[in-house]
Amino acid sequence: MSLDNMVMEHMMNPKNYGTLASANAEGMGKNPLNGEKVAIYIHVKEDEEKPYIDDIAFQAIGCTTTIVAGSMLTEEAKGLTLDGARNLVEATMKLLEKLPEEDAACSEMVALGIKAAVDTYEKRKEDREYPMITYQIEGTCTPKEEEEA
Amino acid sequence: MKSVLIKTHEAWLEMLMAGFMSHTQSKQVLFDFSDILFRHFTWIEHAMIASGESYDYDRGNIPIKVERLEHLLKAITGRLLEIDLQLVGFEDRDLASRISSDINYMVGVLHEMNDEVVTAFGMERKLPGVTLTQEATDALTLFLFEESYKEYELIMIYNYLKAHSDDAYLNRIFQILVDESFFHLKQFGDMMAKMGILAVPRMIMKELYQVENVVAFLKDGINEELAAKEECKKLSDAVGNDSPVLARFFDFINNQENYHIALMKDALRHFEVKETNG
Repeated sequence: MSLDNMVMEHMMNPKNYGTLASANAEGMGKNPLNGEKVAIYIHVKEDEEKPYIDDIAFQAIGCTTTIVAGSMLTEEAKGLTLDGARNLVEATMKLLEKLPEEDAACSEMVALGIKAAVDTYEKRKEDREYPMITYQIEGTCTPKEEEEA
Repeated sequence: MKSVLIKTHEAWLEMLMAGFMSHTQSKQVLFDFSDILFRHFTWIEHAMIASGESYDYDRGNIPIKVERLEHLLKAITGRLLEIDLQLVGFEDRDLASRISSDINYMVGVLHEMNDEVVTAFGMERKLPGVTLTQEATDALTLFLFEESYKEYELIMIYNYLKAHSDDAYLNRIFQILVDESFFHLKQFGDMMAKMGILAVPRMIMKELYQVENVVAFLKDGINEELAAKEECKKLSDAVGNDSPVLARFFDFINNQENYHIALMKDALRHFEVKETNG
């Protein structure tokens, strides 16, 4: 991770970190290999023609890169419609394909958490008790040399 | 009581951060006050456990980015006075009066404290008297963010375990581990303030401290301490050529982890024997 001032600002003051009392859906992105996870909480404003995410928060068990990715992506997701949020997830995943697996894993966990929260919201429109959806990442954040050691 | 617990948690961290920001003799006073507030936190927590009131370690964000120390001291004073006001509704009058007396004294001292220019947020990422390569600076920065959070996390986990255990042997170990993590947190926080990258550790997720399987937690914890030792070793190697003083500091932290591992192994043995004997 390149530590420019913008990244440092997200490290020192992560945006949207914590829980969201008003959340109407949650989602989880998880790394099955090391137990790291990102919980995403969203509040979707429903009394609009096109529902949109008017508030979002995240919590993580993970490294600093995960926190920076969570801070940046939740800021991006705030104000988006559900389709907009799905597009954000898709665009992020495409961008991550170009990165080494260990660099991509943390951001992938956040993106999948957002996708899980949006999907949970959709499911809850039919079943209010629908449980939180969890998606697992496919990559690993362990650098190759550590895996071999 | 829940609201007082949250506000005390916030005031404790806010006071600790003020300590990191100070360059004068006020620093130690602020650290001592933050220790007092942490003890208040544990007293309120025990009172809540005794009365069967549910609680957690959630809290609000704590804005600390100020240009002058007096701005933060005013914010802390406001928070302390809010706590004091809420103590009126406490059933345990002895506890309320003890906390209130401490608050009144602290507010008086904070009011008289000299103002200082705050340099803890400049992002220069340089330690006075130490020249590091960009790579070593980045490694040190990441280490400080990871480990300052980790030490806060450990303080909260061991504190929670201690609050929910009546085993004197285990509680002695948990208290030592809390004290050790406080020392490390203060060392790392001080270094972050000097580098202009001071930050409040983020809130921890409930599942980390509401431990269901203590044996598994201790086993994982031992592995995490071993990984932390490795990180200290890497960092010591990375800064070794540029700053032998800094390398010695990280070797010292690395060696302290051996003691933590020994304590955790001791706790694990004790817990397993206890479970076997029912």
